[in-house]
Order: sequence, then C-alpha cells, then structure tokens
Amino acid sequence: MTLDRRKFLQRIYQVVIAAGAAPLLSFDELLAADAKPSSAGWSRPNLVWLQGASCSGCSASFLNVEQVTILDFITYFTRLLYHPNLSAATGDQVPRLLTKVAVSNKPYILVMEGAIPVAMPHACMMADRPIGEWVKGLAAKASVCIAAGTCAASGGVAKMSGTLTGAASLDDFLRQRGIKTPVVNLPACPMHPEHLVYTLLHFIKSKGLPELDDARRPRQFFTHSVHERCPRYPAFQARDFALRIGEEGCLLELGCQGPVTYNDCIAIGYNGNTNNCIRAGHPCIGCAGELFPRTRLYHTHDDPKAETGVVLKKS
Amino acid sequence: MTATRITIDPLTRVEGHLKFETRIENGVVASARTSGMLFRGIEKALIGYDPRTALQLTQRVCGVCPYAHAEAAALALEDAMGIRPNANGQLLRNLIVGAYQVQDCLFHFYQLSALDFIDLTSVLDYRGADPGLTTMRDWVRNETRSQRIFPAAPFLPAYKGELPKDKEYFLSAVRNYLESFAVMADLHKMVALFGGKSPHPVAIEAGGVTTRPTIGNLAQYRTLLNRVERFVHSCYREDILAVAKAFPGYFKEGRGYGNFLSFPYFPDSSGKNHFFAGGATIAGKHTALDLNAISEDHTYSYYKNKAGQGLKPLGANRLEPLDWQEFQREEQRENGKYSWSRAPRYGGKVMETGAAARVVNTYHAGRNPALRKLVDRLNRDLGIGLKDYNSVLGRHLSRYITVSLLITRLKEQVEQVEPGVLGFSEKEMPRNVRGIGITEASRGALGHWVEIDNKGLIKNYEMVMPTTWNMGPRDASGQPGAVEKMLIGTRIADPANPLELARIVRSADPCVACSVH
Repeated sequence: MTLDRRKFLQRIYQVVIAAGAAPLLSFDELLAADAKPSSAGWSRPNLVWLQGASCSGCSASFLNVEQVTILDFITYFTRLLYHPNLSAATGDQVPRLLTKVAVSNKPYILVMEGAIPVAMPHACMMADRPIGEWVKGLAAKASVCIAAGTCAASGGVAKMSGTLTGAASLDDFLRQRGIKTPVVNLPACPMHPEHLVYTLLHFIKSKGLPELDDARRPRQFFTHSVHERCPRYPAFQARDFALRIGEEGCLLELGCQGPVTYNDCIAIGYNGNTNNCIRAGHPCIGCAGELFPRTRLYHTHDDPKAETGVVLKKS
Repeated sequence: MTATRITIDPLTRVEGHLKFETRIENGVVASARTSGMLFRGIEKALIGYDPRTALQLTQRVCGVCPYAHAEAAALALEDAMGIRPNANGQLLRNLIVGAYQVQDCLFHFYQLSALDFIDLTSVLDYRGADPGLTTMRDWVRNETRSQRIFPAAPFLPAYKGELPKDKEYFLSAVRNYLESFAVMADLHKMVALFGGKSPHPVAIEAGGVTTRPTIGNLAQYRTLLNRVERFVHSCYREDILAVAKAFPGYFKEGRGYGNFLSFPYFPDSSGKNHFFAGGATIAGKHTALDLNAISEDHTYSYYKNKAGQGLKPLGANRLEPLDWQEFQREEQRENGKYSWSRAPRYGGKVMETGAAARVVNTYHAGRNPALRKLVDRLNRDLGIGLKDYNSVLGRHLSRYITVSLLITRLKEQVEQVEPGVLGFSEKEMPRNVRGIGITEASRGALGHWVEIDNKGLIKNYEMVMPTTWNMGPRDASGQPGAVEKMLIGTRIADPANPLELARIVRSADPCVACSVH
C-alpha cells in the first residue's frame, strides 16, 4: 500500500488528541480497532445531516475542521449517508434515501442544523413535506441527535424576537412530540467543528454521550463563561474598562456578553485558534447563549439606551 | 407530442431548500418554476433592534457568504451616519471580504458543482501514490463491494450522465476536490485574522474593522495568501479549463436573458475606484447603475398582500406571509403562488446577477485593463466570446476570473496596511435617516436599505439579494425569473437523470437562505 497504514492512523490520532478525546482512546486501541473493527468495539456510525431554518454556516464551519481531513471523516470515522451541501444525491434520491434510512433498523446519528418552524410549518419545506416531519421521523429512530449550532440548540437567529415562524430548538421540538431520543446541544454561531468531532468520537468509543450539563451541552466545552477565561479579565478586576474600540481594557462598557455566555472559544479560538472575537478587539456578542441574539450587541459606551448594568450582574 | 414533468426537490449542493419543476415537451424544457422553500422573516424581525445589530444578524442570513452582508450593512449604516472608514479600515475590510469571496467561489466549484462533471469511480483505476487518491480508491472499492446501506455515500447515489473518457482530468479534479477543503480552511483563517472568526466574522462594524493590524497578523495573512495563490493558479485554473474543454456545449447551455446587473465592488483604500464596475447590461448595451430602477414583485410569492405595482426597497417589509391553510390552497391552485422568494426587477426587466454579470459589466465599463486582458486571453484560448458568458460554463469561468484578479488585489492591498494603526472610528447613531449599502456578494449584486427612527432604532430594513434576482419567480406580467429562463429550451437526454437541469441551476449558485431571508 502506498500510504503506510500506521502513518495514516497516526494522522487520524492527531484529531483524537486535538479534540480532547485522547483519554478516551489510546493510539494502541485505534490500531487494534483498525485491524479488527468489530472486536474492538469500534464501528463507523452512520450520520444523517439535516438543515432546517438555517444558513448553512455550521456546515461551512464544520468543513474547516483542522486536524482531521474531510476525507478521513467520511472514509474512516463515520459514514456520512446524507449531507445537503455535500451529497451527490439530489431530487427524488433524497427522500428515498432518508425514508430508507429511517426504516432500515440500522443505527444512525442525526445531526440537525437550524431550527424547526412550528407555527408556520410551510416556512421550511423539503420534498413537499415540512422539515419538522422529516426531523420527527428521523429523530425517533436515531441513536442520538446532535443539535449543531445555536439555531438548533436554542432557536438562535431563526427564533429572534420579532420572527413569525415559531421556530423551535431541536430539544423543544422533540419533547413536544414525546420523542425520547437523547439530544446533545452544541451551541455557538457557528458551531465549533471541534465540538462535533469530540462528541462523535466519544460516541464511537464509549457508545454513550459525554457528560452533559442541564442545557444538554457537553460540560467539557460549556462550563466556563467567556468572561472567566477572557484575556482582558485582569483589566475587569482592576475596573479598567475600554470606552472605545481599540482601547485596552475590559469590553463590558461596549456591550460585551462574555459574563453571560458559556463557551470555550477563548480557550480554543476559531479557525484552528487563528483568532476569536475578543482578540479581534470586538465585544462578545453572546452567540453561544440561549438569548442570542439580543436586540442590542456592540454599542458605544455612552449610548443612553444601553443597559450594561444587566450584563454586569453575573448569572 | 409527449409532455412530462420533472420535479427536483430538494436540489442538494446549493445553500438551502430549493425546489424546481420543469415541463418537458418532446425532450425539451417548455416551462420551469423555481421555488425557495425556506422563510425566516429576518428583515421584519429587525424592526426595533439597535441598527448595529444588523451587522451581525444579517450575516446569519447566510453562512456561506456572511461577509457580504456585514459589508453591505456597514456601508448602509456608514451612509446613514455620513462617515467612511480610514485607509486601514477600508483595507482590512477588503482583506476580509476578498478572502471570503475567493473561499466561496472555490466552495461553489469544488464542493457544490464538481461532482456533476466528474466520475468518482475513475479513482478505482488509480495507480499512483497520492495519499488522498489512494485513500479514496481503497474506500470506494471497499464500499462498493460491501452490503452496506447506501455504499459510498455521500458520493452515491448520483445522477448518471454522459461524461468524457479522459481519466486524467477526473483524477486531477478529485485530488483537487480533496485538497480544496484545506485551501478553503486557509481562506477562512485569513478572514478570521482580521474578522475574528469565520463563518460570521464579527469585526466588520460601521466605521471600519475592530481588529488592530500588526506585523504578525499581516505576515500570517500574506503566507496563507501565497498558499492559496498557488492552488488557484495551478489547480483551480487547470480544473476550470479542463471542464471548459471537456464540456464545450455548456458554453451554449443555460442561456438566460443576457441582462446583467452588478454593483461596484472592491474599492481602493479611499473607499472609491472600485475594481469591478457596477451597472446594467441590457441587450448587449451597458448603462450606469440606477438604484431607483429596482422594484420587487410578489405576484407568485407566498404573501397575503395583493400584488400590483412592484414595491420599491423598504416597501416590501410590510408583506405578510401566508398561513398554513392559504399556503395549501396556493399549492393546489393552478397557476398559484410557488415561492417564498420575491421577484426583483430593474426597470421591469429580469436581470441575472453573479460573477458573469460582474465580469461582463466590468469589461463593458472599460476601465479595468487587467480584467480585459484576462478575459480576452481566455476567450481566445477557449474560442468563445463575451456573449458566451451567458451560459453554465460562462458563469463558472467568471468565478475563476473574479478569484484570479482578486488575489492580485489582495496581494497589493495587504502591503498598503499600516501596522499598529486602528482602522476604526465610532460615531453616534443618527436619528430619522436612511442609508443604502451596495456591494457584490459571491453570488452577485447585494443591497441593504436601512431606515433609522427617532429613537435611533431600526424602523425598517430590507435586503435585495443576488439569489432573489436569479432564483425569483415569475412577475405580474408573466416574465419567467432569470434561472427559469435559463432552463427553458434545454434538451434532456434522460428524464430519470436530469443532470443537465442540475448543472444549469447550480451554475447560478443559488443561496436560498439569502434569497428569502
């Protein structure tokens, strides 16, 4: 074989480490799994990816995944049965495929991107059926559902105040319909690709979910607020506040949502830790928060309408 | 005469929920309907929000081209405030939107379109040592021999169509398909260096860009840009030309009205002297841009309001969406409403927007020798003329032209940034004013209109999107939309595998989340 298998697996293992999943899975276990997949308790999970009221941003973010190539992801870690932006299947082939998956009795994971319009089911249609019907059918038979991004996790922009479609998060939608399939929420706008990879690896290895908090988010990523880990936290402690963009100092006076937003973006950054919002000199807009988006984000420090006091109260 | 219908729902490998239907007579498309099937109502929801939220929230209209919404929203607010970013602010904004536009064009060609032009099973005969291709070959072999449900997904099932016999071309395209993921991730890093993150860069604000440029982040940008440039000039260029040579008939397929609309795009550091010209080309004649000529029709769109005269920007936000019963009635009704998308018109005319419009209008405007030279050379090599840009391959080729020229501009402009100097200045929110921001998204002409009330909040907000121009339905006078027109007259070899139709619709790069928002 031209590509040395061990080297290939070493490359694969990089992603295990990068996703923080090394304690779950040693390199030797990976080697063993590769040699004899069934006995090592390793099998590539089937994956079905649906988009509801979404912008495809979480898919675009997922394709940026650094440590694992998309090819490895598709050919080694999972079997991506359907993805709206990647699948060659189109037209009739799609409803046929999805229906067959749902009745196949084969285990699969449903990844849901975007919210589900409930008050206006016709606001998101696929193959002449409201997307909610597809979600209902596929989620009921799935081993686990992953809500990818803020819209799926808590409604996000699809549910912003003033919208008419009655968009529901995946968890709310399933609960209202009595569907008991466990849901993992991976909020952030867009979703961090690392969060999805870790959750999948955890599932592949342990057949279970990582430890979740009350909002069904993996504790691993969502225990700390942006504020707690902020590089400007020392300035906050010294009550040194920036009054304008470009100044040093804590960004609270400019509308920063860091204290009420739980996510590890400060620690792991975006785009392979190239940057994050605070490092870009911008206040946190709270994109991983349940109340995202608020009607006011960045504002000037002297804006009379601003209510920084609300943000300052730690939740 | 035999008439059949072909419905494709959903069309995958586009952004969002797109459906289209064609009626085929004697093997040729006689009529077509394109439908955007996602409605979120973000414009209406923005009323009462702080205007600065529009920078972040309109980006969430589209996770594939969020940068363009950030730019258009910033320009609209800056217009309302009467300010312009300083040189660094403008340059950094260009570095963000330019890198993102390049990423989006590569995404469209490789991830969304390429599978329609290649035969993946050609990797089975591969004998070389490329790691990506060998992994792919072994995987395809194992999958197709397995008893699994949907072997070789997501690459199968797929429409079967006539493909050229040249294996080398397939292998190169597959290798570059795999390679392109890393290149796109690099481009998103370039966006993130000054935008904070990508998708949805946070740092573009009215007044400039909040990230302070340093010697370090500029150097990093340059390094990544060099890598991207190599891929574009070797791989992307070769693949585009290979497709163009393998499918010459597609310079004639997917012809639309040939009316092209584009907005000025990519200014210099003063915010002026845009590299790509705006304007309208109608019946081969180029005229200056007139924003007052824009209106939106909703005769065939899922809204309650009585249709009549087209609505001017900021006039369409009062439209009320149909409820479930009304929607069902329209679906049953002969000649009923069939899309969430509205139908923008320019002086009553249907216009195509996108890379082809950008290239044709800039060529006609005659102020861009670099573009003219590149277009002339490609036309000579491929034996085509400017009129052939109104076609499937013309649109793909125009994206390459955009990318190739943008890279040169980015290389120039990254050198013009002054390290350490903040490219941002703030201004208080004005009252009772309007603003307009126009630019070119990857998919074409994008405009944001904002009206701010007496409390400094959003009174009205409206976006007129490239995909709305392209993918909108018929209007009151019965004129088919731009892509509907492209489909009409197409000969379908095999109605069970209507690959021709998919290629035509994808060539316009529909983004449904944008078109309806």
